Amino acid sequence: MSDAQTIAVQVVGIEQVTPLIKHFKLAPVGGGSLPVFSGGSHIIVVMQGTERLHKNPYSLLGSPQQLDTYEIGVRRMEESRGGSHFMHDAVKVGSRLEIAHPVNLFGLDKIARKHVLIAGGIGITPFLAQLEDLHGGGVPYELHYSVRSTEHAAFLQRLRQREGDRIHMYYDSEGQTIRFESLLASQPLGTHVYVCGPAGMITHVIATAQFCGWPDSHIHWEQFSAPPVGDAFEVFLARSKISVHVPPDQSLLESIEAAGVEVPYLCRGGVCGFCHTRVLELDGTLVHNDHFLSDADKAKGKSIMPCVSRAQCKRLVLDL
Amino acid sequence: MLVTGIKSKPVYAPLQPDIRGHYHLMVGSGVGAGPLLRTLAEMRTVAPHAVKATRVLYVPDAEAANGAAPFTVAQVAEVRSFHGAAALLEAFRVLLGESLMGTRLYVAGPESFIGLVMKIALEFNLNKDEIRAEECGTSARRVYCIHCRATSENVRTNIVACAGCARWLLVRDHYSRRLAAYMGVMVDAEAPGEVPPLKEVFL
Repeated sequence: MSDAQTIAVQVVGIEQVTPLIKHFKLAPVGGGSLPVFSGGSHIIVVMQGTERLHKNPYSLLGSPQQLDTYEIGVRRMEESRGGSHFMHDAVKVGSRLEIAHPVNLFGLDKIARKHVLIAGGIGITPFLAQLEDLHGGGVPYELHYSVRSTEHAAFLQRLRQREGDRIHMYYDSEGQTIRFESLLASQPLGTHVYVCGPAGMITHVIATAQFCGWPDSHIHWEQFSAPPVGDAFEVFLARSKISVHVPPDQSLLESIEAAGVEVPYLCRGGVCGFCHTRVLELDGTLVHNDHFLSDADKAKGKSIMPCVSRAQCKRLVLDL
Repeated sequence: MLVTGIKSKPVYAPLQPDIRGHYHLMVGSGVGAGPLLRTLAEMRTVAPHAVKATRVLYVPDAEAANGAAPFTVAQVAEVRSFHGAAALLEAFRVLLGESLMGTRLYVAGPESFIGLVMKIALEFNLNKDEIRAEECGTSARRVYCIHCRATSENVRTNIVACAGCARWLLVRDHYSRRLAAYMGVMVDAEAPGEVPPLKEVFL
């Protein structure tokens, strides 16, 4: 994907839905319809910050039937590299942004006999759109939604109104936790589980499902990692024949892009595998932060996902 | 070429116990008892508790003397013996409807039997990582006539007179999981009367 394929949008609505989450409505500049998407899709929002360009993935939470606006929810991250703070502080109604076409890496299984959706905090966003697809479809489903406290329960009104008792709420403040084992041990054959939320929750759901005998093909999860900060390092791009400096708070992908070299990407969050790049030379270690490469591939050190991963080295040569 | 090199022909691998599952369901026909009993023996070595969580549905061959007795000896949770595949498949469908996530399916028997079991498993959204199947016994095919939609059973020959419309059908390797049958197409549609010699090929 290159920026030539982005869509210019204008912010037409902003609502502070919880102390940490803002809900944005984006309409195409000049009117008309936005591209069709399916529940679970995300877009990349391109933001021109004061110091640099931010490109963050956000799940589309509106109805896939309604294409005059896209809706996203943005949580203010404490350790933001700037993207979520930009959305919260600098973006106003009327602001213009660029977005990339929707991509779905978290789609519903079309022939599942039941869907169990598990959300933690801001992880509710992809499910809001998926529920639009599930509603009235005849396949049973239920949502288990865990939040810190009532004031942090984003979009609950919207969910309750339509889904009623299919929504199971869990409040940390009340000491309520999802009992994953009893939930996952009692599901009928042909059920799929989907989880989106904090890393700990995702790991726990995957491990519990496996413990209950679930095969991997029935377990779905999505977590976009923000690129972690790290030591600065130098990278040499073998085909472009240029050297690029990667500062501590900029990702490898961002640094390469800033040097004018295009790398194909879709999610920018270590999930999709699209930016997979071959490592030609390395005199240190790779710091893999993605969820795509297998542990064995990570150990081999022959490839890297530059969107979230870095290196601790003097010299890294990539096949770019 | 109509017959070979078609990727839809199912390929099955030898059965192995998958002890990550919590419940084990074995479905077999005739000589399929062999691979199932071998799998139970392996299971007993690696995870004895899994044998006690295993249920068996089995159709013995009509001439078999001891029927499902070997499974009873193996001390699984339940053994059910059926007269004919149709009765077994009906019970299988009911059982899948009552089963929970964490179930592993093991199928052994002739290819046509496996196909019919898979067709039902597919309706219940069982995926490749929940099913193991091992082919043994006859490779006679179920053949679906693409003209009249009748299915001819137990086809051992390269061409077959359709059980529904009597057209001579060429038996292709093109397999439908949904229909659990190979496609049969009229062999002399282009040149009426030109029918190749009948040969036994699926033994």
